[in-house]
Amino acid sequence: MSGELSVLAIIVGIAHSGLRLATPYLYAAIGEMFAQRSGVLNLGVEGIMLMGAYSGFFVTFKTGNLLLGLLAAATVGALMGLAMAFVSVTLQAQQGISGIGLFMFGLGASSLLFKTTLGTVEGVEGFPELRFCLSSLGLNSNYCLSQIPILGEIFLRHNILVYGAFALVPIAWWVLNKTTWGLSIRAVGQNPQAADSLGVSVARVRYVTVTLGGMLAGIAGASLSISLLNIFQENMTNGQGFIAVALVYFGSWAPLGVLAGAMLFSLVNALQLWVQVLGLNIPSDVAVMLPYLLTIITLAFPFRRALQPAALTKPFERGES
Amino acid sequence: MAKNNLLPSGLPRIESMEMRGIVKRFPGVLANDHVDFDVKAGEIHALLGENGAGKSTLMKILYGLYQPNAGEILLNGQPIHIHSPADSIRYGIGMIHQHFMLVDSLTVAENVALGLKSSREPRLDLDRVTTRIRELSKNYGLQVDPDAYVSQLAVGQQQRVEIIKALYRGAALLVLDEPTAVLTPQEVDDLFAILRQMAQDGHALIFISHKLHEILDLTDRVTVLRDGKVIGTRLTAEVTKEDLARMMVGRDILLERVRPPATVGEVRLKLDRVTAVNDDGAPVLRNVSLEVRSSEIVGVAGVSGNGQRQLAEVIAGLWPVTEGRIFLEGREVTNLPPAEMLEAGLSYIPEERMHDGALKEFSVAENLILQDHIREPYSKGIFLDFRHIARHAQEMIRKFDIKTPSQETPLKNLSGGNIQKLILARELARKPRVLIAAQPTRGVDIGATEYIHNQLLQQRAEGLATLLISEDLDEIRALSDRIIVMFGGEIMGIVDNDQTTVEELGLMMAGEKKDLQSLGVAR
Amino acid sequence: MSKRLFWPLTLLVALALIAAQCAAPATEAPPPAKTEEAAPAKTEEAAPAEGAALDIEPIRIAIVMPSTTTDLAWSQAIFDALLRIQEEAGGEDVVEIAYSETMFNVTDAAAALRDYAADGYDLVIAHGTQYGSSLFEIAPDFPDTSFAWGTATDTGEGEGLHNIFAYEARAEQGGYVNGVLAASLSKSGVIGVVGPVEAGDAKLYIDGFVAGAKATNPDITVNVSYTGSFGDTALAAEAANTHINAGADVLTGSAQQVVGAIGVAKEKNVPWLGTQSDQSPLAPDIVVATQLYDWHDTLLDMIKKHQAGELGGTAYQLTLKNGGLTMLYSDSLPEEAVAAAKEAEAGIISGEITIDIE
Repeated sequence: MSGELSVLAIIVGIAHSGLRLATPYLYAAIGEMFAQRSGVLNLGVEGIMLMGAYSGFFVTFKTGNLLLGLLAAATVGALMGLAMAFVSVTLQAQQGISGIGLFMFGLGASSLLFKTTLGTVEGVEGFPELRFCLSSLGLNSNYCLSQIPILGEIFLRHNILVYGAFALVPIAWWVLNKTTWGLSIRAVGQNPQAADSLGVSVARVRYVTVTLGGMLAGIAGASLSISLLNIFQENMTNGQGFIAVALVYFGSWAPLGVLAGAMLFSLVNALQLWVQVLGLNIPSDVAVMLPYLLTIITLAFPFRRALQPAALTKPFERGES
Repeated sequence: MAKNNLLPSGLPRIESMEMRGIVKRFPGVLANDHVDFDVKAGEIHALLGENGAGKSTLMKILYGLYQPNAGEILLNGQPIHIHSPADSIRYGIGMIHQHFMLVDSLTVAENVALGLKSSREPRLDLDRVTTRIRELSKNYGLQVDPDAYVSQLAVGQQQRVEIIKALYRGAALLVLDEPTAVLTPQEVDDLFAILRQMAQDGHALIFISHKLHEILDLTDRVTVLRDGKVIGTRLTAEVTKEDLARMMVGRDILLERVRPPATVGEVRLKLDRVTAVNDDGAPVLRNVSLEVRSSEIVGVAGVSGNGQRQLAEVIAGLWPVTEGRIFLEGREVTNLPPAEMLEAGLSYIPEERMHDGALKEFSVAENLILQDHIREPYSKGIFLDFRHIARHAQEMIRKFDIKTPSQETPLKNLSGGNIQKLILARELARKPRVLIAAQPTRGVDIGATEYIHNQLLQQRAEGLATLLISEDLDEIRALSDRIIVMFGGEIMGIVDNDQTTVEELGLMMAGEKKDLQSLGVAR
Repeated sequence: MSKRLFWPLTLLVALALIAAQCAAPATEAPPPAKTEEAAPAKTEEAAPAEGAALDIEPIRIAIVMPSTTTDLAWSQAIFDALLRIQEEAGGEDVVEIAYSETMFNVTDAAAALRDYAADGYDLVIAHGTQYGSSLFEIAPDFPDTSFAWGTATDTGEGEGLHNIFAYEARAEQGGYVNGVLAASLSKSGVIGVVGPVEAGDAKLYIDGFVAGAKATNPDITVNVSYTGSFGDTALAAEAANTHINAGADVLTGSAQQVVGAIGVAKEKNVPWLGTQSDQSPLAPDIVVATQLYDWHDTLLDMIKKHQAGELGGTAYQLTLKNGGLTMLYSDSLPEEAVAAAKEAEAGIISGEITIDIE
């Protein structure tokens, strides 16, 4: 047993891991939240994440430029979001099915591209962990803020995409609640006829949110392939995109709720890893089920359904009411 | 009339709006056939017609929701083109839809700000919107709290939000599509006071309704549409109800119902403290107790969505009772399946007749025997007896004056009024002991309404116990012996029709309970 | 059912599918039959020189795998061996290979297996313990086709089947060696193991690893964690992180998920001990030793037996002794550590060291 490990060190470890694990979920789920708030359920997040992970990785691998990789992931994600918007808004297809189609496309296309362009699992130098060292400010000191006990250790040794994910939460909240555009999104998802009668273009709002959601899902994929894992492997997202969709329900379609859900899921996951590492006498099967169990239990609470955007999954047609 | 050219909102008036030669075709229907219509500043112009006469289509064209196939629109004499609601808003045209265009989960201020440029894009400026809403509230006497969520507001208040929304956008011309359908009588009075004031201040108002007394009460001119055509435009002061009814229907209509005195008999239907809940477990009926006796029509009044539908379905065996008991002729029938309820002597005319009451792909004859097709004389063993069915259909078509090309015609090709007559015919042919009639004349033309009402009264004379559920207070008043008012799934009061007033009913419809003693439940 | 419940329920189903994907490979293997200690390697360990044509007739081989041919682990190991045989035998004209990858759904895999057999493939390989029960249903319908499956020891002879080969890697052997190496390398006295699902090949490897480490240093701490999935790269990475935070200074792990863990090991500069396939191209300085699965000889023997009319009945094992398992050591390793590892290898081959696992 690792007797010399202090409880504090374990808590720091769990918190630090939790923040890392939550990162891809936050990007994907916040993006999906925008789409759903405007009334479009995009079940293709997983496929977009895979394509984002691949594109980000490939461009970084070939050019060595991380920002270019990130841009590629965002662009590919946005294009796939645009495709979903076209199918669900313009063609008014059944959203669940077209989302699954998008997922399958992303899964297949990323595998095929991987095989033809890479062939084997490769590594890249991903976004480095920041340490917030005083020397970078030109100060004559070796001290880094990441060394600050507990807080520094938990919060100040992550790469930029982790911070980006958490910065996204208040930004998303602000956009949704404090801007005219956010008001249009909320209205379109709840009562598109009303929004339309006031001259708000339902189609345009949905196109923008679904494309934005795709872009963020692409970045979510890149956060795996060029910031947290720094490799690309086929099907590497392993269901995270679907969990992200579940987190939107879990979070009651609100940025803070999504944050809470992502953190709960990730912290429990980090906790169960520690439970195993410490050799606590719990079967590994039970430990790995914990986060899923928790998600399912929370989803089952009926009161959350009242918060669901009323027009979710419903195509809009002018003149019908 | 206002002396200057500005409205109280500070915006210019629309001196005149003219629609000329408007034609709108839908597949198989000519919804507007060269319609001419106009309205001036300071005037309330009524647009009257049966369902399907083309009123809503005309107004949707004005608001940019539909594009006309021909015709033009002139504003202050200048031709304009309206491609979308955004265009019409820009021209100063506002519309209050029959179904409110409000987002429940947003506040009043957010609903008003929706779709408007903010003064500090991209940020919302709800504080300024709130200030302006307060100004408009004051200038127009439209009391509403800008910070309240729409879902918390009563229907009448929601309508004020709709009007404020239009005024906020600078509406000088306001279209009101059946604005009174969901209001209590007091709310109607309040609305009319506001509309009169608005007209006086220089707004141009178009008022769509099929309620004749409201039109006579409120408007300056009236244009009647029938089958997509303008039948005529008159000064309201120069016409009578009967004139208008004749223009709408094309023949003379008897508007007054004669409800002869009748001696009530034994209790046929009794509900004892019935409670029911919805999918989410929230109560939709609370402790509802009532009795309907032989030769009696009991009307159930209330604003839409206050449990009337569930009341009908609970009695018909279509909605489970969680607590309480239901008796039919003294026999307990709580939670019996619908088939056994029919067997026990209950007939039910459902609210959604095309959905619950009939099969639109089936023929008239088939629809006439829907419940009884497995019984003699319509079937022998497992076979249908088509000769008997045809004879029965012919008899019903004649007796109930159902206008249909043949008894083989699919039901969907009949008008709403004739479908309703068919359903009534089918239900009454079963010689029921109790009839539940839910919204029996909604969307039905005046002619068919007259016929259905007379049938209900005749059945009453023959001893039928009828529970009449309607959102049309005039219908309730015309037919009922006693009136039950529902609000929030509860009974607010049970009153004698001849001893109550519209004001009393209106208060109860708004949720004010009549003192408990008069509930007369435990009699 | 109310409409509002529909999407939450759909999501639950999706979650369940993910869970099923995690759980599927944990299917219990049928009880081991009499294990015929590897017949194949009649010390033909020295594979024929490259380029030399193998002495085999044209054959069509199909394989169904749970992960991808490029997983740097379980599936890639056998697929690489097939490709080598194809090359040596003279290309696609002699050895035709068809494959289905990422068949984590057993039902899909069963359909693929049946399709290949019906399509006239001579040797149909089900590369996963979880495919066993399906294979045993399919094999009797195609008596002229050879089937093979692993990790397994049951050739179905007890049930009267004669066209099934079974194969397994005695992963605990290399696991033991890696364990010895890890104990020698560790200064902190803590070693971390990133396991996938607690079953089959991975469990054999990890149990052997723990035994080897404990045999070298009884006081050493070996922290074992399972991610519950073969493919959850992100969670494997976080598991590696957790191990490092818990003091581990040597890491190992199994299945395709480990590429995530290797990424973390590389970033934190912690040595990694690999298994199944050679993972060193991903991080040459970090992957310091590997237990390599070499299915070449096993597969070649199956092909030859098939062409000689013996369609099944043999249970193969990869062992250090028969050369099916080989150890690769990095030059950067300290000499005494390598010496200890090689001693362990020799001990296992000679039978001096027996590995006690559950």
